[in-house]
Amino acid sequence: MSERKKLLEVKNLEVTFGSRRHPFRAVKGVSFDIYEGETFGLVGESGSGKTTIGRSIIRINPASGGEILYRGERISGHISSALDRQITRQIQMIFQDPMASLNERAKVDYIVSEGLYGRHLKESERQEKVAKALSDVGLLPEFASRFPHEFSGGQRQRIGIARALIMDPDFIIADEPISALDVSIRAQVLNLMSQLQKERGLTYLFIAHDLSVVRFICDRIAVIHKGELVELAESEQLFANPLHPYTQALLSAIPMPDPIAEKQKKLLVYDPSMHHYESDPPSWVEVEPGHFLLANREELEKIGNQR
Amino acid sequence: MPSLRYKDRKTEDLSQSVSNTLSRDYQPEEYFELAPYDPSAGERGTYTNYSYWGSTIRAFFHNPVAVFFLVLLVGMVGFTIIEPLLPYAPEANTIYKGDINLAPCAQYWFGTNSIGQDLWSQIWSGTRTSLFIGFSVAMVEVVLGVVVGVLWGYVRKLDFLLTELYNVFDNVPQTLVVIIISYILRPGVSTMIFAMCLTSWLATARFVRNQVVIIRDRDYNLASRCLGTPAWRIMVKNLLPYLVSILTLRMALAIPAAIGNEVFITYIGLGVPLEVPTLGNLINSGQTFINEPTLNYQLFLPVLILSIVTISFYVVGNSFADAADPKNHVN
Amino acid sequence: MAEDIILSVHDLDVKFTLRGQILHAIRGISLDVYRGESLAIVGESGSGKSVFTKTFMGLLDANGSITGGSIRYQDKELTQFKSDKDWRTIRGREIAMVMQDPMTSLNPLKTIGAQIEEAVVLHQGLKGQQAKEAVLRVLEEVGIDDPKRRYNQYPHEFSGGMRQRVVIAIAVACRPKILICDEPTTALDVTIQAQILQLIRELQKKYDLTTIYITHDLGVVANVADRIAVMYAGDIVEIGQCEEVFYDPRHPYTWALLSSLPQLGVKGEPLYSIAGTPPNLFQEVKGDAFAPRNPQALKIDFVERPPYFDVTPTHRARTWLLDPRAPKVEPPEHIRHLREQGVKGHV
Repeated sequence: MSERKKLLEVKNLEVTFGSRRHPFRAVKGVSFDIYEGETFGLVGESGSGKTTIGRSIIRINPASGGEILYRGERISGHISSALDRQITRQIQMIFQDPMASLNERAKVDYIVSEGLYGRHLKESERQEKVAKALSDVGLLPEFASRFPHEFSGGQRQRIGIARALIMDPDFIIADEPISALDVSIRAQVLNLMSQLQKERGLTYLFIAHDLSVVRFICDRIAVIHKGELVELAESEQLFANPLHPYTQALLSAIPMPDPIAEKQKKLLVYDPSMHHYESDPPSWVEVEPGHFLLANREELEKIGNQR
Repeated sequence: MPSLRYKDRKTEDLSQSVSNTLSRDYQPEEYFELAPYDPSAGERGTYTNYSYWGSTIRAFFHNPVAVFFLVLLVGMVGFTIIEPLLPYAPEANTIYKGDINLAPCAQYWFGTNSIGQDLWSQIWSGTRTSLFIGFSVAMVEVVLGVVVGVLWGYVRKLDFLLTELYNVFDNVPQTLVVIIISYILRPGVSTMIFAMCLTSWLATARFVRNQVVIIRDRDYNLASRCLGTPAWRIMVKNLLPYLVSILTLRMALAIPAAIGNEVFITYIGLGVPLEVPTLGNLINSGQTFINEPTLNYQLFLPVLILSIVTISFYVVGNSFADAADPKNHVN
Repeated sequence: MAEDIILSVHDLDVKFTLRGQILHAIRGISLDVYRGESLAIVGESGSGKSVFTKTFMGLLDANGSITGGSIRYQDKELTQFKSDKDWRTIRGREIAMVMQDPMTSLNPLKTIGAQIEEAVVLHQGLKGQQAKEAVLRVLEEVGIDDPKRRYNQYPHEFSGGMRQRVVIAIAVACRPKILICDEPTTALDVTIQAQILQLIRELQKKYDLTTIYITHDLGVVANVADRIAVMYAGDIVEIGQCEEVFYDPRHPYTWALLSSLPQLGVKGEPLYSIAGTPPNLFQEVKGDAFAPRNPQALKIDFVERPPYFDVTPTHRARTWLLDPRAPKVEPPEHIRHLREQGVKGHV
């Protein structure tokens, strides 16, 4: 574990929205590391702050506290414009809704090569790169001269991926990249992402609300609830031994394509008031190697006893 | 390295390949064999032959009322331009001594006014001047309004400053500004345009700003920011194209509004000097005859032209804005 | 399974005019819905699943029309309905609908209580205090805590899941016979999604409702459906009991839908995926619409539209693979172990 290189470190990240008088803390002191070459899953419900974390890494939402390090260098707060350019190249994003994330009034050619304009390439070079990026994601190079609305959801999502790939990034933040897609298209996009990861050694931060997808694609998973991480572990560990009641509730809600198992399953409901956090505040603890949990002393004792 | 095909093939080519994969010819005896499989065939299937501007224009010409007013408008604007070039077209301000207050007749199609000028020439010359004022003001209004509005809406640092400035200047009545400017400068067409331009773009800028605020945080703009696209290119490539249809409407309405303004200011006596015919001047001098049935044509004819211009711009602008809305591209 | 038929669709055809072209959205669907059952219609976007159910309520967009076939609801022929007045006898009181986004079906300017009360007054004939009590009962029934306080609140004060509960409350307060749920949980979080599905199931039992679920995700219906109809390109390609469709699917498209579910994927291996996208229904489909995307398509799939082949009396599929002359083609490996599970389950 120790020889793996940390690509991204998020330390005590805080993101606050709203005015000074009515602040809304979307992210409350979140810490995690992402290692090079892995797929890190961030799972939570809408409003949990998972998207905000992704966006503060890519500097759309500024961090109001804590810091974010990329390859050991701080990329949150004020940074030099040279570093800004560098991380723009190296960190890219795939968006959730392929209908909303492409500029409807621009041709695919422009959309895909948008990130290259700062590099002053020759026109022929640019076109070649566009064609290559399109065929890398399984689209026909001739699509370059069309407008986004001519494409289906899956194709549009692949255009979005091509746009990120053309920058030749090391790290991609995928914010719910498949939840707006039809089931049969999801597999295409997931496969494409895995294939690209193998070919290029990409690192992903995969943000999702659906644990079944995350389990399939991610090496490690962090579960976020109301702006706080509640549990973080390797995928199989998390599925085999979920410790936080919220994780357990999420796991129990995964729909299975198996009628008999489904009809026997018991749904768990998470009630945040069960914790007694007022008298015994929780902390972020490593309960076993690589398995982190937000729990208070009482809960940790209970877990210790069960072992 | 094999050259990648970059340029699009023709549309027919594509639909050809689609229909090829959909209807292949097989003989009955081989029906129950596995067919050859081409995964890329399904990729082409979704192509629809849709173009934004094509559909916009088609939708517009689908509307007979809009087309009628467009023809009327184009005819009218065209005529004001060619009218002075026609043979026997008299200079608008020529005074025909003795032919005072003649009702419309064969010689003077629109009659003459109280000092013996030919109303036909006067009206077309006036319409020309008024349209010129309208176009100029609308142009400045839209250009300035868009530039300031987009900056105002997109560059967050400017938002506070510009909003405060707007609140101050918006509270100064436009009429007052126009009146003051007319006093300071020599009255005339250019003074008029200048005075109206001074304030009219404020509302457009505010309007554009609000539109930009609505779309600036859409995913595709965030995506552009993630790609390091500079703000000015996001404004030009991502924001402006989405505003085209509403801006056309804005412009179409700004023209009759400016003409109406000119009429009003001239009417209260602060506008263009009397010797320059404008619709405002004509209505102003015609209104003295409002209660004289034999002479009120001198009021009604310029008012009629003014109404036609205003209504035409309004209808054409609205229909175009409707047609430019992709939601209406159903039929 | 001796059930009577509440809704019977026969050879339904729906066409849309779009930008001067004809879109053949529903291509000859026949379907019987039995009283008290819960039927899931599964299909991708553009498969026509929503359009299909909209025809039951006369809610087709203005540019669409039924061009053939019949829809019989009890003793009424719905395709003959012309005016809104005709439809008002059906909408809400006989067939009600729960939409994907609860916000679109709620009036943001009226309190929740007033909106439910409207339905109660109109459909149950209650008045005044009685009506209010009925509303409070309904709110409690759909699992909204503290109904007295909630009664006077506006939709924006509710979370997405709670709003969907309110929409369901309104639909149920009309005492319909059929409840159509159009992607009722797609906009909701996973944990809420499961709760809403559970709620609908409870209400179905309590009020003897017939429910029709529309969804794009086969994964979510295993729990709720008695029968499943799989739609592709404006047609039902496979229909059967829930267990039959999950454990013994016969149409290659159903195989593809099932095996591309990440729940069934094996980590590190690619998921089974279908290439391409559904056909463009502006062009008349020849043969089997799924053939161009189907690696196991037969040549006849490109020539002739397959008929339905019965697998069991309750299970049939529209694929030439079921023809006795067809070669034996195995479903993808991913889903074969599902079948084994099913066999285990039946034993």
